Amino acid sequence: MQLPAQQVAVVEAASADEAQSVDALAAATDLPPETVTGAVFELEEEGLVAVEERVDETVTSTDEGAAYAAEGLPEVRLYEAALEAGADSDPVQMGRVIGASGLEGPQVDIALSNYARKGYGVIDSGEITADPDADPSADAEANALEVLSDAGEAAVDDVAVDDATADQLERRGLLERTESTIREVTLTERAVTELMAGIETAETVGQVTPELLTSGDWEDVEFAEYNVEADAEQFEGGKVHILRQMSERVKDVLVGMGFQEMDGPHADADFWINDCLFMPQDHPARTHWDRFALEQPSHIDELPEDLVERVERAHREGIGEDSEGYHSPWDEDFARALALRGHTTSLSTRYLSGEEIGKIEPPARFFSVEKAYRNDTLDATHLLEFYQIEGWVMAEDLSVRDLMGTFEEFYAQFGIEDIQFKPHYNPYTEPSFELFGTHPTTGELIEIGNSGIFREEMLEPLGVDCDVMAWGLALERLAMLTTGAEDIRDLHGTLADLEFLRNAEVTY
Amino acid sequence: MPTVDIDPDELRELTGHEDKGDDDLIDDLFGLGLEFEGRTEDGEFELEFAPDRLDRLSVEGVARSLRYHYGDARGVHVPSPNSAEWTIEVDESVPDERPYVTGAVIRDVNLDEDALDSLIQLQEKLHATMGRKRAKGAIGIHDLTMLKGGAATDGGNPTIRYVGVEPNEDRFVPLDSDEEMTPAEVLENHQTGEKYADLVSGYDRYPAIYDDIGLFSFPPVINGRRTEVSTDSRDLFVEMTGTDQWTIDKMLNIVCYALSARGATLEDVRVEYPGGESGNADSEGSRTQSAGREIVRPDLSTKTKTVSHDRIETILGIDLDPEEVIDLAERSGLEAERDETETGDLVYDVTIPPYRVDVLHPLDVIDDLGRAYGFNDLEPTYPDVGTVGGRHERSRLERAARTQLVGLGFEDMLNFHMTNEAENYERLGLEPGSDAYGAGEPATIKEAYSEDYTILRTWVTPSLLKILERNTHRSYPQHLSEIGFRAALDDGENTGVGESRHVGAVLANHDAGYEDAKARLQALARNFDVDLETPPTEHPSFISGRTAAVVIDGEDVGVIGEVHPKVLVEYDLEVPVAAFEFDLEALQ
Repeated sequence: MQLPAQQVAVVEAASADEAQSVDALAAATDLPPETVTGAVFELEEEGLVAVEERVDETVTSTDEGAAYAAEGLPEVRLYEAALEAGADSDPVQMGRVIGASGLEGPQVDIALSNYARKGYGVIDSGEITADPDADPSADAEANALEVLSDAGEAAVDDVAVDDATADQLERRGLLERTESTIREVTLTERAVTELMAGIETAETVGQVTPELLTSGDWEDVEFAEYNVEADAEQFEGGKVHILRQMSERVKDVLVGMGFQEMDGPHADADFWINDCLFMPQDHPARTHWDRFALEQPSHIDELPEDLVERVERAHREGIGEDSEGYHSPWDEDFARALALRGHTTSLSTRYLSGEEIGKIEPPARFFSVEKAYRNDTLDATHLLEFYQIEGWVMAEDLSVRDLMGTFEEFYAQFGIEDIQFKPHYNPYTEPSFELFGTHPTTGELIEIGNSGIFREEMLEPLGVDCDVMAWGLALERLAMLTTGAEDIRDLHGTLADLEFLRNAEVTY
Repeated sequence: MPTVDIDPDELRELTGHEDKGDDDLIDDLFGLGLEFEGRTEDGEFELEFAPDRLDRLSVEGVARSLRYHYGDARGVHVPSPNSAEWTIEVDESVPDERPYVTGAVIRDVNLDEDALDSLIQLQEKLHATMGRKRAKGAIGIHDLTMLKGGAATDGGNPTIRYVGVEPNEDRFVPLDSDEEMTPAEVLENHQTGEKYADLVSGYDRYPAIYDDIGLFSFPPVINGRRTEVSTDSRDLFVEMTGTDQWTIDKMLNIVCYALSARGATLEDVRVEYPGGESGNADSEGSRTQSAGREIVRPDLSTKTKTVSHDRIETILGIDLDPEEVIDLAERSGLEAERDETETGDLVYDVTIPPYRVDVLHPLDVIDDLGRAYGFNDLEPTYPDVGTVGGRHERSRLERAARTQLVGLGFEDMLNFHMTNEAENYERLGLEPGSDAYGAGEPATIKEAYSEDYTILRTWVTPSLLKILERNTHRSYPQHLSEIGFRAALDDGENTGVGESRHVGAVLANHDAGYEDAKARLQALARNFDVDLETPPTEHPSFISGRTAAVVIDGEDVGVIGEVHPKVLVEYDLEVPVAAFEFDLEALQ
């Protein structure tokens, strides 16, 4: 059989007849005791060695005890000085005896406190007497100290010191008891057999190699250990942009709610962006400063003629008997002017008109998560380009309660609960609501979208004769809410910091 | 959102709720849709208003709405003006661009400081909103006692005249000045004149209003000092000029209602337009309608909208009794009367007061009823309508390609679509409109707001290089990709703009080379089962001899190569960059 080098050394040093301690094996193999202990345990598991454990108690004298063994116990020295001074017949002045004894410092107190206990004499009112019958040579404590200092470190059982004396010496801090676990190792019969058959030393390997696998050697090798806790180098795998992840999540949610995706031009005629939305041409949002009009090309080639006619009529006269329209100018040339769409509602008007995929019959749900362009000052919360989530539902007899229920369902998917509806004004919806929701972490009430039921003046020219409810929201706003990003520019655009994107938490 | 400043003490006085605390008032105002934004230095409430209820641009209008809200007032109230004494005679010389005028006389108005401030604010807010910064409608308010109109006409009625004058034909002393000026001088030398000069810049003749004494107003720019209104003024002459009769009539109604709420008496004014044979008649169809007409203003007639009970119930999603509908209408300051259509359906004839400018359609009445009911008291329901969801094919393709790119180790980027010519062409050594891939003619932005954003990008590689430029302090390799929108002029498109998505990728590392890029491009082509060829080509942004055209299924759809050192240096890059870019559609 093959074994790792350390185990081979231990097996060879151990014997089947005589139990050997780990320390002894360590000395014999020239390996550190902890290595031997590890090898012994593995060998025991393999059934190659038997291990017996016992707990040994050893005693040694402390430094103080050793000193007293040489000089004599302080109480004994005091007794000898007292005898010298003649205290065996009459009491003698304490000071004189102590001076003569040569005791100093704490030894004086030690001497005094043990003197009477051991029957060497009496100390009273500054005078000391000595018992003439006392015998220092029979002092058990002194004798025990002498034995201990001769024995060095010794097993309790090997020392002729009775337990009571040992306890007393321990209390006086003159003796130390130590417990230790001793493992004794003997070879098993199996080991002896294997030894006779021959045990080889196995190699350790760093890498699994084709040779190792095909030769079957992998069965016998030992794999070098790694520091599995150490950090590895930083790895930058590919990752979908954090805002894209958000947009994918929104798309998934909307598709799950039965919405179909729209697509269409970014540069579009104002007709589709605004006129079809029943936005009067002199509306302040249609002035130069809010939009990105195109210089080149400047106008769309063609608009559906009959639709233009119907839209113009709605603007001028309204829809139906009790409808008024706007008292605003309407100019087809202005409608044909191209601009970058200020909202993706231009996709909705294109789809609703039947221009994109033919006439849409109710019920239908459509959405887009696409870019819109607004002339704003670029700062931490505003971008010139942003993703707008646009959605609408077309059905017979939709109510504002349906609208509210749809939004509650949508926003709940992103952890935004307790939606509030603030009545609002939009030229193209009535009733209209600003949506407010509670921030999932800060608990703040924040505006999260704009919504409403499209006006008849908008829908009828597009050829829609049922209800359509719609809403819009900036994707960046939702992303900032759910990721906690504080600067929108980190999320979007060429100012991006790779480190931010690399470290950004994945959203799902 | 625009704001209006309202003095809470005045509001308490005008509503008759003197004991309302500020917090209660703020809550009540929110219920009307007027959101409290803060206080002015003088302690007035700054309220945000939606630009539909322009009748609430002054404390008087807000007080009126609150009284309906509290139930202190119900239904429609229309003041009765005294019959006309004054006439506005419109002369044929009036500029074609600004043919319309309206007016009213206000008597016995008590203009203390607060009332005057409120009137001035109302005038400003109306100019800013309905008046479209005075272009569509401009308001002039004059002290009537300073006007002399008695001898102008044979009938004995006092008259003022709305005329057109040559820029330097006459002189008057404008407000905030001590000097006599001609209209042309006002536009050049007077602070207010300079500000509004654009409004009349295309006019041959300037609008002017005369009484017997002479020129006293130069609409839409400035009034004369002679007729300036002060707290001592008791009787006022309000005139408005504009490009649309309806608009200025409605603005006038809002002003008349506000002053009437302060106890003033209204008096009609006659407006006489010149005869139909005038040369001005062809400027606008509506101009012809006014020709030769005599009208009496203010027009305080109400409108009626017929609103179907069924439509109210379907829009609000609740069942209502007719009594409830009538009650909700009254609480909105409207009046609803039950009626039936020929087919027997329940409808309401709803009377709309003359100050409302936002009720274009019966639907707007339903919105009022909903607000009175309380939209937030409605229980949301999920519409019981089944539809099948799905993604657009383009979006599916884009997602599939992005997933592959990420799998190939690219970090996905998302850049702005707007850029400028320097970033899009020059820094890459590209000539706009040349044959090189990505060098198409750009769609350009008109009178660009910032020189950084003047065109739509024609390709995405410049955006990726810019990110590399900004991240030279970050660890390499930097393998970036973007599937992004780009656009260039294309006569074949209805909009004249060809829009599409490009797949762009850059590999920046100390040992990045052509092969690295080609290996990944090949992987993409294989995954989408398209046939890829890369015949050598030249491109100014790439190293000659290490550049190829991306030919997919026989179509030349892109470029691949090692970016030229002159470009790398331009972007402060100290590592080689290999890149490719091609049309996403080629993977279809």
